[in-house]
Amino acid sequence: MAPSFRRAAEKGDIDVIENACPAVMASLQAAAFGLPFQCVAGFEGSDIPDIAPFARVKDPFTGEDALVVPAVRPDWAILHVHEADVRGNARIYGTPVWDRLMSRAAKRVILTAEKIVETSHFVAQPELTIIPEIFVEAVVHAPVGAWPTAVYQHYDIDEPAMRRYLDLSRTPEGFRQYLDETAAHDRVALGAAA
Amino acid sequence: MSQSYSPADMMAVAMARLIRNGEVVFVGVNSPLPLAAVTLARRLNAPDCTFISVGGGINPTVDKIMAATSTADLGRGSASIFDNQEVYGLNGRGGFDLTFLGMAQVDAKGRVNSSFIGDREKPKVRFPGGGGGPAILPKSKRVVLWRAGHSPKIFVEEVAFTTSDGNLERIVTPLCIFRKEDGRLVLDSIHPGVSRQELAEKTGFKIPNLDSAPVTPEPTQEELAIIRQIDPDNVRRVEFGLQ
Repeated sequence: MAPSFRRAAEKGDIDVIENACPAVMASLQAAAFGLPFQCVAGFEGSDIPDIAPFARVKDPFTGEDALVVPAVRPDWAILHVHEADVRGNARIYGTPVWDRLMSRAAKRVILTAEKIVETSHFVAQPELTIIPEIFVEAVVHAPVGAWPTAVYQHYDIDEPAMRRYLDLSRTPEGFRQYLDETAAHDRVALGAAA
Repeated sequence: MSQSYSPADMMAVAMARLIRNGEVVFVGVNSPLPLAAVTLARRLNAPDCTFISVGGGINPTVDKIMAATSTADLGRGSASIFDNQEVYGLNGRGGFDLTFLGMAQVDAKGRVNSSFIGDREKPKVRFPGGGGGPAILPKSKRVVLWRAGHSPKIFVEEVAFTTSDGNLERIVTPLCIFRKEDGRLVLDSIHPGVSRQELAEKTGFKIPNLDSAPVTPEPTQEELAIIRQIDPDNVRRVEFGLQ
């Protein structure tokens, strides 16, 4: 796991809300649909609902127990995409994972894009547009913007770079060195090498 | 057995043998060993299982094992994109027959702690967090946990915090396979070459059937050949390096 996050959590420097992916997803889904809360499946036997923002309610239709989580509406979502136009339409190839959901849940969206393309590209096959322009506030042309992680069909994870990040991140000074090194990288050259 | 094999090979083979043909199988993130297991099973004992991951594919083409099993490369060769919302939707409606998940700590009753040790606001040890476990363990019909390590800090008598609990069936480690039986972990089998004393010393709870449990059958030549074919660079060992 990310060493700087672990260090900050163990020192008590940051507040960590204990949670789990499907519950956070349900919170974002509630926000995306303008709902106050949403039911979430599972969690039987877990202590997480006792210490996190969960509530146990009665299903008003069946009387069964139900677990709900509140809407979470982030101020910003920053999403890296394969292709965007200057208006903010975007395609993500392969799985969008949570990006489609986050673009609807957040109040404001910034896209970073591997490639800027013409709007006609999206008009030709609108069903492939994962994020429509109406949600997007800004588009940044950021080739190799996901480095050292991967972008499907563009570049793979840069494993030596990830190992260097993990090694340097063991100390706060090392992490600062990592940030300085990273800022100095020529990402386009890195992408060409990848 | 003329061919040597590693603990990673034993673990991948042990997990592959747990997959039944026709099952819908889900593999969690950062799980090269379960990925090797499913890929092996799809070529050997469970050719008609359905393989789903965080990578977005249904039955993708896997011709090499990767360390980050959430990569979109696990959508390649799939006829549809099945994103993470779909995964939790399917899980919620009970669609997974078998799930492979990693974990930080587990106790004698099979309860998992992947959250923290110590004070919640200033934990002694911060673990990665719940992931999908709290929703998947109660919903997936069978759950197999795995960990590329085995120590009294991982296998404890009682966890202080339960991140997830549920339909745990087996835990596969470099030393053995545990089975949950009547609400408690018992030894399903001990891997070849592991001493029962070492296993007892490295497990933080008493193993009730330590002396009577059988030895895990060794990987066959056929199993090893497939493992080496799909993972020539030995990516499956990466988790061992991160202990």
